Order: sequence, then C-alpha cells, then structure tokens
Amino acid sequence: MLYPIVFIALVASPLALIARLPARSLIAWGLALIPLALFGLTLTQAGPVFAGEQVVEEISWVPALGLNLTFTLDGLSLLFALIITGIGTLIVGYAGHYLGADSGLGRFLAYLMLFMGAMLGVVLAGNILTMFVFWELTSVTSYLLIGYKHDYPDARRGALHSLLVTGAGGLALLVGLLLLGQMVGSYEFRDILAAGDQLRAHSLYPAAVILILLGCFTKSAQIPFHFWLPGAMQAPTPASAFLHSATMVKAGVYLMARLSPALGGTALWDVTLAVVGGATMTFAAIVAMRQFDLKAMLAYTTISMLGALTMQIGLGGKYGAEGVATNILAHALYKSALFMLAGVIDHECGTRDLRRLGGLRRYMPQTMVITALALLSFGGIPILFGFVAKELMLEAALETDLGATLSILAVAAIAVTAIAYLITGWRLFSNTFLGQRSTAAMQQHVADPTPGMLIGPGVPAILSLFIPLVLLAPVSTLIAAASAAIYGKPLEVKLALWHGVNPALLVSLSAIVIGVAMFRFAEQLANMRGWPTWLRGDMIFDRLIERTLTGATALTRTLQEGRLRRYILITALTMLIFVGVPFISFGLGTIRFDLDPQLQFYEILAAALIPIGVIATIKARTRLGAIIAVGVVGAMVALLFVLFSAPDLALTQLLIEVLSTVFLLLVFSVLPVRFESFSSAWVRQRDAIVAIAMGILMGGLVLATATNDSFAPLAPFFLENSLDKGKGANVVNVILVDFRGFDTLGEITVLFIALLGIYGLLRLRQGKDDVTPERVPTTATEPLSEPVDTQR
Amino acid sequence: MLHRNESRQLQPNRSASQSIPRDSALYDSLILRTISRLMMPLLLMLSIFMLFRGHNLPGGGFIGGLLASSAIILQMVAFGPKVARRILPVSYLMLAAFGIFFGALWGLPALFVGLPYMQAFWLPEPIPGIGKIGTPVLFDVGVYFTVIGVTTKIALLLVEEPILFPLPEMKSVPVDQQEEVA
Repeated sequence: MLYPIVFIALVASPLALIARLPARSLIAWGLALIPLALFGLTLTQAGPVFAGEQVVEEISWVPALGLNLTFTLDGLSLLFALIITGIGTLIVGYAGHYLGADSGLGRFLAYLMLFMGAMLGVVLAGNILTMFVFWELTSVTSYLLIGYKHDYPDARRGALHSLLVTGAGGLALLVGLLLLGQMVGSYEFRDILAAGDQLRAHSLYPAAVILILLGCFTKSAQIPFHFWLPGAMQAPTPASAFLHSATMVKAGVYLMARLSPALGGTALWDVTLAVVGGATMTFAAIVAMRQFDLKAMLAYTTISMLGALTMQIGLGGKYGAEGVATNILAHALYKSALFMLAGVIDHECGTRDLRRLGGLRRYMPQTMVITALALLSFGGIPILFGFVAKELMLEAALETDLGATLSILAVAAIAVTAIAYLITGWRLFSNTFLGQRSTAAMQQHVADPTPGMLIGPGVPAILSLFIPLVLLAPVSTLIAAASAAIYGKPLEVKLALWHGVNPALLVSLSAIVIGVAMFRFAEQLANMRGWPTWLRGDMIFDRLIERTLTGATALTRTLQEGRLRRYILITALTMLIFVGVPFISFGLGTIRFDLDPQLQFYEILAAALIPIGVIATIKARTRLGAIIAVGVVGAMVALLFVLFSAPDLALTQLLIEVLSTVFLLLVFSVLPVRFESFSSAWVRQRDAIVAIAMGILMGGLVLATATNDSFAPLAPFFLENSLDKGKGANVVNVILVDFRGFDTLGEITVLFIALLGIYGLLRLRQGKDDVTPERVPTTATEPLSEPVDTQR
Repeated sequence: MLHRNESRQLQPNRSASQSIPRDSALYDSLILRTISRLMMPLLLMLSIFMLFRGHNLPGGGFIGGLLASSAIILQMVAFGPKVARRILPVSYLMLAAFGIFFGALWGLPALFVGLPYMQAFWLPEPIPGIGKIGTPVLFDVGVYFTVIGVTTKIALLLVEEPILFPLPEMKSVPVDQQEEVA
C-alpha cells in the first residue's frame, strides 16, 4: 500500500484542474480529500512501524541498473509522510480561498499535488536511485510553483535560482549516491544503512560525503547556498507555506537524517553538519529579525530552522535524534500556520510590509489569536510545542560528543537564535496587530476571512498548543520511531513539558528574558544599516550567471561563427586529437591487413567508385554535379551493403540517399547554379590535410575493429536467439525492436528532438524577419478548402 | 529531369491539373506530376507492406517510414506543400510525437506483470496477411510514425521557409544559368 500512496498523489494531480470551475473554495476543500485520504492510508500502515518494524514493498523497474521501485516506511518516513499529507490537506483547501479570484487555480493545485507526490516519493523511497528521481521531481515542480506568476520577472528569477541551485546540487548528489552504491554494491537504503562501518573505512568515503552534503545543503538552503530560499517566496503563499513547512526544503534534512546512521560518526560528517548548520541557524535568524516583508521574515526563519536541524544531526546522540524529529514536527506546524496567516493578512490588507500594517487587532481578532499561538510556539515559549522542541535542541548541544568547544558554541548559537526568534515574533505581531490603524487597514474593508480560510492556519496553530498539553503520549510514539531511524538504534522517547530544573531550561529561560527585554529595541535593530549588496548571495549568484552567459556567448562566437565549414573543421580536429592520439598510442598494434582471398572484382569496383565519387564531388563546378557525385557515393555504399548481405542497411541507405538528394535539390534550387566563390588556396590545402588525416583515422579504426578478435563476437548470440526469443527471422529488425529496443526508443526520441530543433530555428527566424503571416501556416490541419490559387 | 519552368506565369498545364492546387509547386513539371500521382498509392502501400514484413524479411519501421515520407515528399516537390499536408490530415509534428508515445507505450505491459520495461509479448497465432503480432511489432509501428512525422515535417519546414522560397513569386533563376539545370 506504499506505492499507491505516492502514485495516487501524482496521478490525481490532473484532477485538480477541475478547480477552474466556479465555487472554487468548495472544490478545493473537496480536492483536499485526496491528501486527507493519503494521510489516512499512511496511518493504516503505521502499526508495524510503531512496533519497531519496517514496511517494505518492491517493484523491479530496470533491474539491470539496480534500479528498483522500492518503497519503505519506517519512523522517519512516517513522520514526514504524515506531515506532507496532513499539511497538504490544509494547504489545498486554503489555496481555494487564497487564489479564489485567480484564473489559474486549477493549474496551481495540479502543480501542488504533483509536488506533494514527488515529496512523498522522496520520503518513502527505499532505493536511493528511486529517491533521486523524486528528488529531482521536487526541484522541477517547485520551479513551476515558484514561477507560477510567470508574468513577473521576480517570480521567474526566484524560480530560476531555485532550479539552478537545487539542480546543480542534485547533480553532485547523484554522483555521491552512485559512489555510495558502488561502495556498498547495492542501491537499497537498508543495505547502505547496514554497511556503515564498511562505508566509513572506504577510501571513497570523503568524496561521497562531500558530494552528498552538497546536494543536501543546496536543497535545504544552508550557507552559502541559502539565497535561493527567500527568492522562492515569489511563489503564491499556499505554495510557500507548503514548501517551507513540509516539503522540498526539508528534503535535504531528510536525506541527512536518513543517512546519518551510515555516514555519521566521523569528524567529517558530524563537525561539518554542526558548523554549517549552526552558522546558517544564527546568521539567518539575525537576518530574519531585520526584515520588513512578512514572507521574507518567515523565509529567513525557515533557513534558520533548517540550519538548526542540520546542526542537530551533526551534534548527534540520543538528544540530537530526538531533537531533529521533534523540531521537524514543531516547525512544520507553526511555520505552515504562520505562512498561511501571512497570506491571510496579505489577502485582506493588500500588503505584507510591516511598515504599512498595524492596528489590525480590532478588525481581525480571530486571525490575531491564531497568529499569537503560532508565534508563541515559534518563539519557544513554555507549554507550547516549540518549547519542547527547543529544549531537546539545547540538550543535544549540551550532551554532544563533539567536544566542549563545539558544545559551548552550539549552546551560545542556540541562545542567540532564540533571542532573535523572539524579537522577530514580537516585531511581526506588534507591527501587524498592535499600534495605530495603518493606511492599509483604513483603505480597505479589513475583516477576519471566512472560516474556510482560517481552518488552514488554525489547525496547526492549535495543535502546537494541544500536543504538549494532551497529545504528548501518541506523539512521543511517533517521535520515538522517527528518532530511532535517525539514531540507528531503538530509542525510548518520553516527551515532557517539565524535565525539572536543568541547564537547558536555564539557558532557555534566560534567552526568553533577554529577548523580552530587547523588545523595545526591536525596530532600531531592524533599521540598522545592512551589509553591502556584494555580500548578498542572490546578487552574487546573478552576477555569476551573467558572467557565465557572457563567457558562453564569447565562446559561441568563436566556435560557432555560422559557417558549416568551421563546424566541421572543429569537429574533425577535436576527434583527431581525442580519438586519434589515444589510437596512435595504444591501438596501432591491433590493426591487421588481411586481404580476403574471396574478394570479387565487382566488390572492388563498387568500393573503388566511392573515392572516385568523392573526388568528383570535390572537383565539381556546379551544384547539380556535386549532388549527383555525392549520390554515387551513397549508392555505392548501399551496393556494398547488398554485396555483404545486409539488405536492411542497403534499403535504408538508398532511401536516405534519395531523400537527402531531394533535400539538397530543394535547398540548392534557390542558390546560384555555379559555385560563386571558392575558398582561398591555403584554406583548401588546410582542409585537405585535415580531411585526409580524418580519413586515415577512420579507416584505421574500422580496420582495427574488424580485425580485432580479443572480444567474443556478438553475432552468434543474436543469430541463435532472434527466431527463438525474438520471434523474427530478420535479425537486424529483431535487434532494433526487441533486443535493443530501448536504444531504438532513445534514437527516435533523438530524431524528434532534432526535429524540434529545426522547427525552433526556422520558426524563430521567421518571427524575427517579420514574414507575411499568410505564408506561415499555423497548424498542419488548417482548412484546406480555401481557394488556393488566390496567391497567384 | 527536375527543372524549373520559366514560363510558369502562362500556366500551360492548368487544365490538366485543375483540381490540384499548385500554390507553391517547386518544379512545375507535367512528367513529374503524372508520375508522382501514380507512385503515391503504390509507395504508401509498399511502405506499410515493408513495415509489417520487417520482422522476418528486410524492412521494418524505419524503412517503411522512410518510404512513406518519400512518397509524401515526392508529392510536395511536384504539387507543393499544401498538397503534402492534405495527404495525411494530421500535424506531422504531432505524428512524430505520437510515434514516440505509441512506441514507448508498448513497453509498459511488461511492468504490469512484474517484468522489466519493454519485455516482449506475442499473440500465440499469426494474423493472416499481417503475420505475428506482438509488442515489438507495435513498437516498430511507433518508429514508423516517428520517422514519417520527422522526415516530412523537416521537408515541409524547409519548403515553407519563406526566405528560401518566397511565394507567391518564386525566386527566379537567371536564364543563362537555367540551361545548366535543364
């Protein structure tokens, strides 16, 4: 029942297009039943997981590559799957209200569901390659979501940043995962997790760790790759809420947590994670404190929390594992609520700028209460779930095995972060709900939104309060299962509000006191001068892309000046260097010049006509002559195929020859018949030398291949099996469509891509040259009954 | 021999081919038109024949597709792109895309019974006139469509390229060079 969970989300996504119809909010809450059903389905699978077991399902996909669709459910997957589907339910319903007036709601919800399916695939995949496929799918779908308002340049920029950064990280991750698979000899997570010691002792371990961490850090917006995440707030708010609370950005954290039992325990892994995570956490918390845009504030606190999660994985130990699991849940609850509330405020007031908001307490009391709840949890105030999570984080920092220095640094970083969170929360709350009524509040009729819109943020905010008060026991079971998966060993977890007076509580309380004391300086802190723009990651990234494009343009200008002659020259020279040099160094010995004693005179004749045709082509003074001479070459090649009993190839060659002659005639018919200009003598001599060298190289390669007997020939296998297994007497065709059908599928796809290339090139130029539209048929099925002679 | 009729303004064979639109004929030649009209059904039938015999004898989707598209391109050379479009009432771009989709589709049945993608399945008995039918043959049909679509569309794109072939006035070739072609 695991893979249906993933596939239902993916397959059901087009269904969301019905949200184009009227009564959108109703339809959206109806569609929310899909994630809700997935939530229920996941829960039904949870029994064995709570008992400490795993649910495993396997479908073989490309067994030859070790690529299986394996799905497993353990504590960590369960926690994530429940968060994704649970918050997904609320967000789908909320989006119906938020985008009620937007014509693209159906498209948006379809992307959202697809995104959800991809994320479920990441967390449920039991095979690292399967996981990677879904991982990339989350990048692509989040690109679609962030760039949803593609009319706005900022949205496109944000989407592009996220795709480029996470995509580049994804490539590094792929290599890292492949290394991992090579070291273990299996691509299944369970084998990799079981082979921890073998992995850590392996010489490729550092390389694999660095590559995997690159992938995780870019995905989870760790310093210095953090800059794409604030750009991602260009997405419509429901997407941001989902992205930040439940999905995508947590994928990196998920993978690090998943792999930490196998890869953790070394200084490379633990210290890197603790340092990078701690730096990200503190830096982003301070930046967040000083933002004026509600969503920017929340986006930076997400980065901060992702850093905190990374740091806890690095700190390790029992409390580290518990802290990660608890913080993931706590963060998902309050952050989704806060993002949806930011959307509510934006929706009602038309702005999310703190400087233009204020005094909303009178108009939006319900919104204010929910916001207060979520913010209290966010600030880690006692009796809310955020407090429980923060205590565990502090315990992890205090109990870490990484040494006293790192431990003290981590505690200090957490304290600074906690203070910054409090100030952020206070600024958000006081500037929005307290103080004077702002112009934005006066201009519009501001009121609490419909209940349908408040369910979304309300449920997670209230859960933040209820979990520590009444639901602590069942949640402890879930957290225990999840942290056992992160820790690698079974764990006893009893979450509690009161652990007695311990160092963690003291640090936590003093941070709260300092934070509250600093409330009155909050605005001054926010207005302090910022750092110069060159320090901003997104600016640096933009400049980097600009430089890359300039460089690429310059390179293109040099390599592709627009003349076919130059392209061929470059291709030939490249091949001469990269194939010719190794061939001369290593391959000359394999050439044998055996003359076939059964050679017939007509075979020699056909072969001899080929160079004669080539020379005739070169010597031709008219285009028609050249075309005919080239045709002779092709025909002779076809004849050789016939003589050496390859009628399939001969037929294909002949047809291709006919078609290319027709194409050449078509194009040349509009050119002057005679060649109007000839290249200068030295150019022709240069080309002749290159061409002759190329010819000798190719000849040598063919000879070497033909006379090489150090590999067993494949022909007998195909001859024996084609009628028996392929049910066809034509071996060539059986190879094409059966034995190597996958290749053929690839080839026809390439053919189609080439067509798209030509289509794009010709149509693009037509647009530029401002062609009379009547000559450009829009579709192939245009009405043909029109009087066609009118153009004459 | 293909040649460009300089006296096209006089429309010498207009009565002979009144029913056929000649909006953009490239080579306004009576012989070519007569022959290509005769060849058209033969070539198309041959292409389908080639497609289905391919599994046991020379032929197959690629060769069949090339034959069919050469039939269509012949029409295009003789009568112009609009007629070529009318031969198959589909968008060739879509036809090519459909071919890939159709081909890839027949790899799927294996997945439903737990075998790897593209594992072959065959009907137990051959169908009279066509031969044995199995997923590889259907895959070959996908190749056939792709090849027709791609080749014909490229030809159409070239011929309908207004810079190369500005219509309604064809780019005329000077008379002194004309004789070289003829």
